[in-house]
Amino acid sequence: MKLFSSIPAFCLAAVIAGGTLAYAYVNEAISLALEAAVPYVEQGFQVREDNWSGETTPGKPLLIRHQLFRGNEYWFWAGTSWPGATIEIAVFDSEGSSVGLERFSRNGMAGVRVLPQKTGTYNLWVLPQYVKTGKGMTPAERGASDPVDGVGEFSGVLDWGVVYGYR
Amino acid sequence: MTIFLQRILGISALVAALTLVSSGVFGDEPMKTPPSPERIDLAHFPGEIIDKVVVPVPAEIFTVLDKLDESDWSREIEIPKQTDWGGDRSRMALTFGALVAEGFVAVQARSSSEIETIGRRVLTLGESLGLASSVRPHSLAIIEASNQKDWTKVRAELDATQETVRSTMEKLRDDELAGLISLGGWLRGTNVVTSLIGNAYSEEKAELLNQPGLITHFREMIAGMRGPSANSTHIRTIATGLARIEAIITDSEKLSEEDVIRLHDISQSTLEEFYFDKSGDAQPTPSVN
Repeated sequence: MKLFSSIPAFCLAAVIAGGTLAYAYVNEAISLALEAAVPYVEQGFQVREDNWSGETTPGKPLLIRHQLFRGNEYWFWAGTSWPGATIEIAVFDSEGSSVGLERFSRNGMAGVRVLPQKTGTYNLWVLPQYVKTGKGMTPAERGASDPVDGVGEFSGVLDWGVVYGYR
Repeated sequence: MTIFLQRILGISALVAALTLVSSGVFGDEPMKTPPSPERIDLAHFPGEIIDKVVVPVPAEIFTVLDKLDESDWSREIEIPKQTDWGGDRSRMALTFGALVAEGFVAVQARSSSEIETIGRRVLTLGESLGLASSVRPHSLAIIEASNQKDWTKVRAELDATQETVRSTMEKLRDDELAGLISLGGWLRGTNVVTSLIGNAYSEEKAELLNQPGLITHFREMIAGMRGPSANSTHIRTIATGLARIEAIITDSEKLSEEDVIRLHDISQSTLEEFYFDKSGDAQPTPSVN
């Protein structure tokens, strides 16, 4: 979903990618996730090039399975680019228990820190949301939201992207 | 009574103010910790399960090994002789992934000369795959960062090189080759890790090999191959090797030293299908102490 031009976020993404433009097109959600990663790169986190992204209905949770190694510290960062949309991210172990030690969510970006107690497959839980009134959006409102300057009406789907770093 | 009410109101106001401050309302940069479930039902997940698997780069395991022990990384570098695969793109893709993994080993060893060799080999292989223009900038950046001993940058460029080639192949609808790049890297990374753990075993280190989800992913990927290489000898050998690796990992609650050595032997014979010379020059198998 190419919604609007976010040059600063894209520039930051390029910096993290080692000065090379890894994408032929701008994936806004990934750019925002990489923007959220910037302060942690300065703390020594090595951010992976590979990532997850897509589009989904607001309020529908996503589950991503991923291998983590005990002894590493991880941060996972998520982004969604629709103005006013939010995104949450959490990590669960194979039993379904939350293992995140620290989390944040603001301005279409979110992050969670994990210190795995075991090596194995973990589950990333991602929830992009677009709440028009603060009381939740009814299905009828999807596609009937007020137009946002420069980007048109809400189409009913949100973009999302997740990147991670380790140290 | 009035004083009492004023005190109550005063305390209430203070509590309300503290609540607002703690919720970030008065902060310069509001930061909220949104509610998320403490538990989720993985068996009946109500949303969408994402299929894509991101394979960890070998450096993710290498960094843990470095925290646990002092490893002799230079002993593990083994750049194979250059082979002309005669247009066999599946072998080229596997070798490409393994070479990138070799680059991560050379970074751990802080070996600029080996990294430079790997950077050039990566470019040659990229040319053979018809991806020279995509690979060249990364190859040059790897060599430059290595000369500057900027190891973080070298790791980032190795990761970027692999990702660029994989994503280019996916765009060309060559998902099978993209998957083989990841598999080649994973096999070489596992080969090195099992060698190091086998030489100085500990349960803590062996736990790093607990990767059943990744092995299942690679097995499914190989089983789903439909391209010209699907029935080739080397792909069938790799499929058998992965099945043997899976059996060891899923059957063992804790991997023993013998398990680790078996895993090393399997990865070694699998790599001999596309990376190492079958006739010799294979690195020594770690011995049981």
